[in-house]
Amino acid sequence: MDCSQLDALGSVGMVESDSHYPAGLQKIIDLFQLLPNEEKRETLISYAEQAARWVPKPGEAYDLEDVRKDEECTDTVGVYLRVSRERQVLFRVSLGPQVQTLTRAMTSILCRGLDRASPEEVLEVPSDFVPKIVGADLVRARSHTVYYVLTRMKGIARAYLNRERAAAS
Amino acid sequence: MSTTEYAHPEALVSTEWVAEHLDDANVRIIESNEDVLLYDTGHLPGAVHVDWRQDLNDPTVRDYLAPAEFARLAGRLGLTPATTVVFYGDKSNWWACYALWVFTLFGHQDLRIMNGGRDKWVAEGRPLTKAKRSHPPTDYPVPAKRNDDEIRAFFQDTLKHSQERKPLIDVRSPGEFKGEITHMPEYPQEGVLRGGHVPGAKSVPWKTAVNADSTFKPAAELRQIYQGTLGFKPSDDMVVYCRIGERSSHTWFVLTKLLGFEKVRNYDGSWTEWGNAVRVPIEKP
Repeated sequence: MDCSQLDALGSVGMVESDSHYPAGLQKIIDLFQLLPNEEKRETLISYAEQAARWVPKPGEAYDLEDVRKDEECTDTVGVYLRVSRERQVLFRVSLGPQVQTLTRAMTSILCRGLDRASPEEVLEVPSDFVPKIVGADLVRARSHTVYYVLTRMKGIARAYLNRERAAAS
Repeated sequence: MSTTEYAHPEALVSTEWVAEHLDDANVRIIESNEDVLLYDTGHLPGAVHVDWRQDLNDPTVRDYLAPAEFARLAGRLGLTPATTVVFYGDKSNWWACYALWVFTLFGHQDLRIMNGGRDKWVAEGRPLTKAKRSHPPTDYPVPAKRNDDEIRAFFQDTLKHSQERKPLIDVRSPGEFKGEITHMPEYPQEGVLRGGHVPGAKSVPWKTAVNADSTFKPAAELRQIYQGTLGFKPSDDMVVYCRIGERSSHTWFVLTKLLGFEKVRNYDGSWTEWGNAVRVPIEKP
């Protein structure tokens, strides 16, 4: 399934969950939980192919930028954060060419799913959504970097909130 | 044997050769990767996919398929015992070599590696497709046994090998060998409690055998490295290991197929078994 069809589908067939996710991410999780395995893979590929849409745009300004190559990741990953006056986040992410397909897909899913969430909501996102989207058989040794992008997004959101608190005190 | 030729030159094919055999009914091209979705993003026309975990491993026990399961897999891929199987993949063919090694466990005869792997094919601007071609399933005969004794080393075999100071190669990165890190560089931790190496092992990273474009080094150069500089002999009884057996499959391929070493076993339990075992000797640095 082309992931651009998500908006048209809305939140059909909401699946019950103990965890709370920002609305956009919840919508994506609900869709994935309804998909058979083959379509799940196709949708992940579609998301992975759209990862380039979330790279920083020329002329766009960000509150924080965090570009680095960590020891645990195969390539450089840049995370850019902008928070609006309404406290809604916008993420941009740049990925080096060696980053795995699943991590590219997760980047696209998170940029879209967390769009307009608050920084506090980003910090609260539980990582248990990953197997719900990806399927347990794909989360395994050598594909654990699917969690990496969420960790980086939480890290930059935390840095933003710390800076905000420091400015207020 | 000529020193300028590989011992089994038929085991290594070029991207040109593969391009000419994409529609050859006697040849099956198999992609095997670390990136679990890479095949789905595009693959060689006609190539089928083998997932190292889902297709080659037992779903419950840390082990490989049983012979009957291998026959089912080979049948699903449309293979007969006479089919020429060519493996290629990402990460300099680590998982292609791993798949080739697993197929060797079941005695399939004509197994080859596409030199340079997926990266070389892409770099040459050759075509990829998302279309999955289905090959008519076959009734592949169930192998009589899995050849564990010949090319696979278990923990006890490796311990004995270490105690007897027989040739043992650690193909991990120097940092892993020295115990400075317990994960592969650029990878997350895979659950190892102790760092270091099997006592007596020589550090010969898998990368020693490849050029910058992931192709294997020429035979003469490989001989100079493994036999000249390191002093190994083709008749040596050897064990190779890494973390989970895929990088050591790469070196196993180099030693057996390219250099003609006669008795090399891959310890697939590797460091994720050894580095977690209780009261097992570890050498550090």
